[in-house]
Amino acid sequence: MEFEEYVSARGQDLVRLGFTVSGDYQRAEDLAQIALMQAFRSWRKVRKADDPHLYVRRILVNAYLSMTRRRSFTESPSAEIDPPHPVPDPATDIVNSDDLWRALAELSARERVVLVLRYYQDLDDRTIADMLGIKPSSVRSTASRALATLRKARQSHHVS
Amino acid sequence: MSNTDLEDDLRGTFDRAAASVPMATDLTGRATTDARRAQRRTWMISAAAAVAVASIAAATFGLSGGRSTPVQLPVAGGNAPASTSAVETEPSVETVSGTWRPVQMAGLKALSAERPEDPVLVFRPDGTWTGSDGCNGLQGTYNIGQRGEFTAKAGMQRLIGCDNVPHTGVLQSAKRIAVDASTLEFYGADGRELARYARAR
Repeated sequence: MEFEEYVSARGQDLVRLGFTVSGDYQRAEDLAQIALMQAFRSWRKVRKADDPHLYVRRILVNAYLSMTRRRSFTESPSAEIDPPHPVPDPATDIVNSDDLWRALAELSARERVVLVLRYYQDLDDRTIADMLGIKPSSVRSTASRALATLRKARQSHHVS
Repeated sequence: MSNTDLEDDLRGTFDRAAASVPMATDLTGRATTDARRAQRRTWMISAAAAVAVASIAAATFGLSGGRSTPVQLPVAGGNAPASTSAVETEPSVETVSGTWRPVQMAGLKALSAERPEDPVLVFRPDGTWTGSDGCNGLQGTYNIGQRGEFTAKAGMQRLIGCDNVPHTGVLQSAKRIAVDASTLEFYGADGRELARYARAR
């Protein structure tokens, strides 16, 4: 597969992945571009990989985690999936989803990445561990901690 | 709320968020342009650094009466590899992976001086390198071509002065490497050996 073919098939998926991990459209495009740029520079090696897309996604999430470790990194306000609806019903599910999206911003970068890879990318814990260079048990504990934080945030929202 | 409900909601949230992302335009063009621009920048910096290191090397070899003819580049499959190593291994991120300590550097005599930290270089198979110049942590990325072509970039670093071992200068000036089980050699654009390292572990 040529680089151009890969980008036209998967480029937008990378921007979407960038958005789900970062919560910011601009940063999502930057992340996709960083990942593609790095992949392009060693494309011969990337396309020989068992799963080139997994390889490029790995570059992207690790680029994001590196970015968040920098001192200059500041979280931009999360973009809203949908504008707030003045009438809570019938769009209850959207409002709930929006709450969950907002709660995701309270997680650490690694927690959020683990959840995205698990529930958006549907990757198993072993693959996630391999992508992030951590143990599968760390993936499980990170996900469990993140889910507990989200559950707590949701409960407190519903109570208040 | 059960875990399953929360997990299902999360899937929905992520899917909806992803679906809301506007179509990005010209990702291919931007990625390839940026990569080529970065590569050109690396070449220019490497070339400038290579000239500087080569000048130091030439001066040093000239003064010491050492070898003055350029060595032949260690090209895999070539006629006569310049490496002094016994059995060369094909250079790759896997074969250079590990910790290396400097044993010889062009223009540097004080390799064995006392330093606060062990001046080692560590190459990882993911294309990153770390190390210490003896008193500052170093890090960056590197790339090895199929015929031993080498490029490296250095990240931010502190600049505490001591008998700093110029790993970064070597890595950024090197154009080609040769490696075997115990030795790693870096060569400049003119084929001269810039530095030699021994595997520490």
